[in-house]
Parts: sequence; structure tokens; C-alpha cells
Amino acid sequence: MSTVIPPGRAPGTATPAKSAAASGTRLAVRRFLRNRLAVVGLGVLVFFVLFCFAGPLVYSTDQTHTLLHQVNLAPSGAHWLGTDAVGHDELGRLMYGGKVSLIVGLAAGVLATVIGTLWGAAAGYAGGWIDAVMMRVVDAGIAIPALFILLVVSAITTPDLGGLVIILGFVSWLVPSRLVRAETLTLKNRDYILTLRAIGGTHARAITRHILPNSVSTIVVAATFQIADAILLVAYVSYLGLGVQPPATDWGGMLSAGLTAAYSGYWWLILPPGLAIILVVWAFNAIGDGLRDAFDVRGRG
Amino acid sequence: MSTPTYLIRRVLQAVAVILIVTIVVFALLHALPGGPARGILGPQATAQQIAAFDHEQGLDKPLPVQYLYYLGQLAHGDLGTSYTLNEPVSQLITERLPKTLLLTVLSAIVGLLLAVPLGMWQAVRRNKPVDYIITTLSFIAYSTPVYFLGLILVLVFSQALPWFPSQAPQGHTLGQVLSDPQGLVLPIAAGAASMVAVFSRYMRAATLENLSEDYVRTARAGGSRSRAILWRHVFRNSLTPVVAMLGYYVPVLFGGALVVEQLFNYPGMGLLFWTAAQSSDYPVLLGCVLIISVATVTGTLIADIVQRIIDPRVKAGRS
Amino acid sequence: MTADHSPAAPAAGPILRLDDLGVVFTTQSGEVPAASGVSLSVDPGETLALVGESGSGKSTVALAAMGLLAGNARATGSATVAGTEVVGAGEAALAGLRGRTVSMVFQEPATALDPLTRVGKQIAEVIRNHREISAKDAAAQAVELLGRVGIPEPDKRASAYPFQLSGGQRQRVVIAMAIANKPALLIADEPTTALDVTVQAEILDLLRRLAAETGTGVLLVTHNMGVVADFADRVAVMYRGEIVETGPVEDVLLRPSHEYTRRLLAAVPRLSVAGEGVPETARVATPATHSAPASAPAEPVVELDDVSVVFGRGRGAVRALDGVSLTVRHGETLGLVGESGSGKSTASRVALGLIRPTRGTVSLFGTDLARTRSRARRALRSGIGVVLQDPVASLDARMTVGECVAEPLRVHRRALSTRERQERVAAVLDRVRLPRDVARRAPRELSGGQRQRVSLARALVLEPRLLVADEPTSALDVSVQEAVLEVISELQAELGFACLFVSHDLAVVQHFAQRVAVMRAGRVEEQGDTGTTLLRPETAYTRRLLAAVPVPDPVVQRSRRAERLTTLAAGRTEATA
Repeated sequence: MSTVIPPGRAPGTATPAKSAAASGTRLAVRRFLRNRLAVVGLGVLVFFVLFCFAGPLVYSTDQTHTLLHQVNLAPSGAHWLGTDAVGHDELGRLMYGGKVSLIVGLAAGVLATVIGTLWGAAAGYAGGWIDAVMMRVVDAGIAIPALFILLVVSAITTPDLGGLVIILGFVSWLVPSRLVRAETLTLKNRDYILTLRAIGGTHARAITRHILPNSVSTIVVAATFQIADAILLVAYVSYLGLGVQPPATDWGGMLSAGLTAAYSGYWWLILPPGLAIILVVWAFNAIGDGLRDAFDVRGRG
Repeated sequence: MSTPTYLIRRVLQAVAVILIVTIVVFALLHALPGGPARGILGPQATAQQIAAFDHEQGLDKPLPVQYLYYLGQLAHGDLGTSYTLNEPVSQLITERLPKTLLLTVLSAIVGLLLAVPLGMWQAVRRNKPVDYIITTLSFIAYSTPVYFLGLILVLVFSQALPWFPSQAPQGHTLGQVLSDPQGLVLPIAAGAASMVAVFSRYMRAATLENLSEDYVRTARAGGSRSRAILWRHVFRNSLTPVVAMLGYYVPVLFGGALVVEQLFNYPGMGLLFWTAAQSSDYPVLLGCVLIISVATVTGTLIADIVQRIIDPRVKAGRS
Repeated sequence: MTADHSPAAPAAGPILRLDDLGVVFTTQSGEVPAASGVSLSVDPGETLALVGESGSGKSTVALAAMGLLAGNARATGSATVAGTEVVGAGEAALAGLRGRTVSMVFQEPATALDPLTRVGKQIAEVIRNHREISAKDAAAQAVELLGRVGIPEPDKRASAYPFQLSGGQRQRVVIAMAIANKPALLIADEPTTALDVTVQAEILDLLRRLAAETGTGVLLVTHNMGVVADFADRVAVMYRGEIVETGPVEDVLLRPSHEYTRRLLAAVPRLSVAGEGVPETARVATPATHSAPASAPAEPVVELDDVSVVFGRGRGAVRALDGVSLTVRHGETLGLVGESGSGKSTASRVALGLIRPTRGTVSLFGTDLARTRSRARRALRSGIGVVLQDPVASLDARMTVGECVAEPLRVHRRALSTRERQERVAAVLDRVRLPRDVARRAPRELSGGQRQRVSLARALVLEPRLLVADEPTSALDVSVQEAVLEVISELQAELGFACLFVSHDLAVVQHFAQRVAVMRAGRVEEQGDTGTTLLRPETAYTRRLLAAVPVPDPVVQRSRRAERLTTLAAGRTEATA
């Protein structure tokens, strides 16, 4: 209930605080830390980043040559997680593929958020028929399920990594654009924006000095969830055959390559990449949840 | 806004969205390797056939004219002919769409029936162990690729424990599919999992928000018990935004159906689409994209109208 | 449970007794006491007003008396309702008490009702919580209750949703719920604060009548001394979580004994009424000395000529302004008053150029706004200062106070060096009587009054020729309001700017503005010198508006109320005749 009385509300009791920004940040950090799942998520993410990027320095393996004398070996002292159908060490492959999954997911998630932010802010601030047309485009984009578009694209062409990031970014900017538009709509009618416009401030100033800085928390939270979704989407894309081409791979590629092997009992080919995807996507979602608490931002959809 | 005015406006909006979708599909048609003629006639077409086709279909005319021609074809229900199955695409889709709708609607119902009580339970037990456990499980369910989940389900409930078949029921008609309910269990479970995750989160958030509303305090001040307030007031008020979210979730459901159908060999549109992608059967691919989009737009429209029915405020043009 | 069914309110003794009641909130920054050592009692049939400013803990005490405190609050001491202890009582015991022995009316009628349940059903729910009667009978009683609280066509209105009712009607529904089971005690927490003044008068009349009919004791929580004078038999004054003074209403309001009560009452703007002679209270604003001699009126700073504003199109179109003409001259303050929806804020926004008139012209500093190009228009606007109502939303939380105040300089005086800018900011902070070091602080660290002064500093940093103030003090406590208004009028005397002052509070406008325009439904009902228009109004509407304002003197207010009710009754018979 809303009956919590803010300290310092009574006249004369306002505590002299230090730097405003610092106390705001500290409060946000404290709120984040109180969300235990988010803290665990952050730990999981740090672990996987170290695992994928620092891991190969400690545990070096050959991921380029096919080694037909050691295919589908079960986990052992020599190969902690066994080997796959062409003889690559599974643990090393998990690090190697994880790099691709993380980088592509991160890049695509950020790209989607950037496109969505620009589009949503423009539509929300412009208002009127421009907003209506821009949002119908978003509706149309949402109406075509991303997986269907991706499969059509895969039937037409096979992109490289950069192309993959761009395609993923362009099928997933719609949700952040909706969020940022809603945020812009409320912000542009805030009293300080009205005041600025009344005294002759420009639209550019309203957008760059007030609306975007005040949307940062919404955008950061949206970006976190967007990265989670992008990593998941990368996994689907590999399953659809549009993903990274061999001998390079990613977790989704490893998983779909191991699918048939699973029926033969080679569990070590699907469980590790499957769990890695679940844990990392889970971690980003939990972190997003914590950031939402920290910034006091609402809603995901 | 009166109901007829609203309906007209909302339908016009949906039509505008579908028109934009047709532009996207038209653009994809022109992005096909070798252009639309090669895409539609298939890889075996000769140069003369392509030239004749181009002329006959007006493909040597300016793009806007071509687009109008394309719209005209759509208006007649002409989506082209599959060159692997040699059947009109419209007929292929008419046969499979109901089965896909059956799968998605059943998944959605199962998902909601689980998600709504779970979310309310979490809200009532906020920050208690139950809440943390369900939240963790929700995030895990959301984070699991459907094909991985499907595989695990098959390995556990079909191979290790022979409870359910690993193949979906086969058949041409809805009746044939429904005659084997056992076979539907695993596909529906795989399709509903992430829905449970997403909607239990929504329901939890909506319930928490409503629990802190003033009207709850008014009801308590009138002597109503917590349980009565929860079910009489908070439940309905929380459900309204969740129904609105359902509209946004329709495309995700169809995306999930694509993977589930492929995984369980379920004879719906997803499987048709998947097979067409393997053989670059462009007329089928583009036809499916168009129909799925129309289905999505319709689904969103229905969700909006349902929301309008259950929330009298929306009807009055407020929210 | 058995105790719940005993007859309510034993005849002897008070219906509500608080004994050394304390409430502590557990927050992120530790334990915050909200009330301590509160002792008071309410007898059957008596009205006790609990008054205080925001943060004084008065609402917390009211909620504690019903056991409705939030989860992070802890109550100590004792609160008994009809002999039943509330502090520490279980959910079942409390549920048996609430809505039957003790009921509550809340501040915000907009959110107090379930938006998705028909109002009749919500009333019936309270009835059936405590009485074993059929749904049909409960529904019939709900209709009857709606009639008793003065809702027209109660049988039809019972099936309305809350959003289909006006704010005043919604509050009547909440009251109907509260009296459904004839409680012995009614707790009303700022029941009229969110309502217009004429609606407030009706709701107070209703509450008074219902309480008298059933002999219900009332605990009235309010910050409005006029409401206290109108309604209360006894008064308890709260300050920082403690009761500082209790006594009969005449004593406390006319002969306050505690220093704080005296200060509080001195800060309340009093409406001077005809027949009292010259307003005794010193005018807060006396900038008349600086305005031009009366014979030659100063040039208009802003002028609205026959302005109409229509929002929307077709059948759903709303005419927000209809042929409004207003002029504000150099050095003078024009008060724009009216109830919610009267168009006063829209008119101020038209003057600011934020809303384009559908018809009519707006001239700013002698230039027609519609005929200027955007660059010239921006330059013109450097002569405007703005202060809006909400102290929180008026300042960008991501900026420091200094950056907020400096923003107009960054827009219009781009040549200034950082140092010059800081000096200007410091100087204007001095002017609004804020310490210079607030420039480095964040807005959220300041109190509401301080934030409004920051807004004022921002408005004045360019030394504007026009200040538009839209309800600048209505979110503030009276003592803070007084200080802010004082600063504005001093600076006006010094700088000579024209001021368009929008307010719903007639008493404030009477003290602050030289001229006044009364608005109603998008039109200017009447305008003229404040002294004349608000003392001897020409239109019936303005008279009605003035009559509805409660004055903080119980003796005067009693006769005003009688007079108003006679006029209303006369008007009604006239209308029906």
C-alpha cells in the first residue's frame, strides 16, 4: 500500500545527502542486490563469459580438424565432456561455440534495441498520423512470426556472421520500439517538457536532454531481455539451418547436431549445450528482472 | 466511442496491417534468387518459360502495377501452385490451417489455465519460497528452446516411460487428429511451456499491482475477507491486462507451432512450411507467411474485442 | 466469532478510544515513526476532526484505528472500537468489525471503487459480509442506500460502473458502502479533498445529515480548516506524529493555545465575504504601487481574444474553450478561477502557446502568435516564465537543481560562459530564498515547497515579462503555500512582471490577484477587480461558488451554511415552480 511515509517529508527533517547521482545509484544497486535471482543470474553470466573467453586459454583443444579416430567418445579423463561426431572435444567446443552465441546474441540484441528505440521515440514524439503509420508498420512486423521470416531467408540465402546479426536485429526490434514509444508518450507530456516548450526550447533539446536520458532505464531493461531473446533466437536459427556454418559453431548448432545422437544415448552431445543456452538466457532474464526492480521500470510487453 | 465505430476502426487498422504485410511478402518475392518467375516456376524452368511467364504475369511492367496485380491475385484466393506437391497453395493451406489452429488454441488454453492460478499464487505469496521457486522455473521454461524441451519430453515420457507416443496423430481432418488425444499430449505440453512461463509472470505482476490498489482497501474496510477480495475483485481486474497481452502473444504461439509440428511430425501448416523451406518451394513459403500473418492479425483483433467485452472502461474509450 | 454478533456500540463510553497509539514503518532506511503517544476518543454522535499537514501522521492514525495499516507498519498501544481491541487483532475479528461497527470513507473516489464491478454489487457485498440476506434483498437495499446518499435514479445507477459516475457521485457510493450496515463509527479520511468546492459542500452536508440521523460518531481526518469549522464538534491537532492540542472546535479554531496551531491557522488564506467590510487580513500581494497609474492602463502583456478550443472531431469533439477573452497587463496579476473542467488550465496553455486555438487570436507582448515564424516565436517566448502544479513532475529528476534552473539560459542565452551561468543561477536562487548550495542537489532531495521555489527560480532566471502559474501551490501545505506566494508577490513588486495565476482556491486568488476571471464550462462567467467580483459577484454561479467555500471560523461558517442552504432551497422551489 502507498502509505509508506518518505523520510524527510516533514518540514525541517530533510537529511542533507551527498551527491545526488551517487545516492540514486546506491539505491538502485541496493534494490538490484535485494533481488536474489538477479544476483545469481549475474554470477551465472560472469561464469559463462569467463568460461567462453578465458576458458580456451586454460583448456586448449583442436576445434578445426576432424579427428575420426575419436568420434562420439563418452566423457573421460582425457575428454571431460566426451567428443562429438567428428571428434571435437565437447568441452572445448562448448567454449568455442559459446563465444559465437554470446557475441551474436549480444550484438543482435543491442542492434534490435537501437532500431526499436529510434523508431519508437520518433513515433511517440511525433504523434498524430505519423505515429499511427509507424505503429501500423510495427504491427505488421509483429504479425509475421520471426521464425517464419527467418526460414524464408534461410531458403533464399546463407548469411555470414555479420549478416546474421543484422537479420536477427531486423526481426526483433518491434517489442522495444513499442516500449520506448509508450515511455516517450508519457514523458513528452511531463510538466518539465511542457515548461521547456512554453519558454521556447526546441524539440531537439526536449528529446536529447530530457526524453532519452529519462528513457535510459527502460531501454537498458528492454535491451537485457532483448539479448536473452536474441541468444534464444540464435539457437533456433541454427536449428533452422540458417546459423553459423561448420566448422564454426554455436550452442544452437551443437544442440541441433546432437539431436539425432540423443536417441543413441550420446547425452553429452545435447545436455551441455542445452543447459548452457538455458542458463545464459535464464541469467539475462533474471538480470533484466533485477534491473527492472533497480530502476523501478514497469512491464515487459 | 460506440461499439460499431470501434469495430470499424479496429478492422480498418487490421486491414492496413495486412496490406503492409503483403508489401513485405511482395518484396520477398522479388528478393528470390532469379526473381519471382524462377521462384514460382521452380528451378527446372527454362529461360523461354521464364520470359513467357514474365510477360504473361506482367512482370515486365513497373513495380507498383505488379503489386496491384499481385493484390488482385490474392483477392481471388490465388496463392500460386506448389512446385513440389503440384497442388494449389491455397488448397494445401486450407487443409492444414485448422490443424495448426487446433494445436495453438489447445496449447494456449492449457498454458493459461496453468499460468493464471500460478501467477496469482505467486503474488499472494510474494517473496516467499514458493514465489522464488515458480519464478526460477518460469525463467527456465522461458529460456529453453522448444525443440530441446520437446526432445527431453520425448526422451522422458516416450522412451524412458512409455506413457505417450513420440509422434503426433496423423490424418487429413480435424476429427482424425482428435481421435488420438494421447498423441497430442506431448506437442501441447511443449507448446504451452513458455506460455505458462510468460503469462504467470504477467499474472503475478498484474495481481501484485491490483492488490495495492485503493479499491482493495475499500473492500477490506467493508469487512470483506482477503480470499473473497482476491477472487471477486483482484482476479478480474488482473485478468484484463493479461487478455490484452494474449493478442501480442499470438505470433509467438505460431512460431512455436512451427517447431513443435516439425518435431512431432504433426501434419499442420508449420510442417508444411518446414518441408517447403527444405525444398525451396517459394509459393508455399510466401503463401504460408501471408496466411499466418493474417491469422495473427485476426487473433490480435479477437483479443482486443474480448478485452473490450470484459472491461467496460475500454468500451467507453478510456483505459 | 460469537462476539462479532453482539449488538454494536454499548451505549456507555466512547465508540472509539485510542490510548498511547504509536505506529512505526519499517523502510529500507530503517524504522520511521509515523505516530506516537496518540490518545483520543470519539463519543457516539460526535464528530472529532483530526487535523494536520502532510506527514503529520493523521491518516496513519485513522488507518490504524481500522487495522488497515500497510504490511510494513507496526502499531503499538491500544485502539478500541466499541470496546473491541484493534491493535494486534486477527483478520477474522477485524473483518467482523469493519463495515459493520466501523466504516471508512477515503480521499480518492476515482480509485476507491473496483472499476470492473457495478456499484450496486459493491454495496451489496458490504451488506452481505455482515448480514444473512439473499442477494436479491441486498441488491434492493443497495438501491435504497444509493437513494439515501442522493444519487438520482438509484435503481438505474446501481448497475453503473464507477467510471460512468462523476467524482462526487463516486464518493456518494463510497459513503453508501460505509453506512450500509449502520456503523457506530465512521472514519472519513480527507473525504472531500479530491472534489470541487461545490461538490465538497454537498458531500459535507450529506455526511452531517447521515451522522445526525443515525447517531454515528465520526472521526474526520482533514487538512482543511474550513471543513473542520463546517463539520466538527471537537478538534485534535497533529504535528509530527503527535497530538499537540485537543478541544472544542470554537476554542481550537478561534482561541488556539498551542504555538503550532496558531501558526497553522495564521497561514490559512481566509476568504473575505461581503458584509465583513474591508478584508481584515493583510493582503499578501501589494504590487499595485508598481503598476502604472490607474488612469492609463499598462500595455497588455498577453491577450486572448475570442479564443475557442475544440479537442477532437465529429461527435466526440469537446469544446474546451468557448469565446474566451482575457488580458493580463504589465505588473498585474489576473486570477483565473473555476472548478475542474472549467477550462482554466486550457486557457493558460493557450496563453503559453502550447495549445493552438481553434478560433480567435493570442497576442504575446503585442505580437500575434499565429503570425510569427518559429524562430521569432521562440525569441518571444524567452519573455515567459512558467510554474506548474506538480512539484515532482515539474523538475527533471535526472538533472541537478542548478541544471534545471539554468535550462532557460541554455536555450536563450547561449553565449554565457559556465561561470556567468552559475552566477545567474546563484542569484536567482537567492531571490527565491533558497540556499545557493541546493544547486548541486537532486530535486528529489528537496521538499515540495522547495521544489516549487526551484520551478519559480527557473521561471524567473530570464527576468520574464509574463509569469504563468498553474495551481503553483495546490499540492503544498498551507504554511508552505504562504511562503511560496509571498516570494512570488515580492518578486513581482521588484521585477514588475505580469502574472496569470490559475487556481481553484478562491481565498488564495482573493489575496493574491488584482483582477479575477471566473470560468465555467469553457466560458468566462464574469471578470473584474478581485475586490468587487469576489465580494459582490454579479452572476449566480459565482455566488454559488463563493457560498460553497467553507471558512475556518465555526461561528461564521454556521451562518454561511444556513444561508447557502436557504438559497439552494429557494432556488430549487423557484426551479420547480
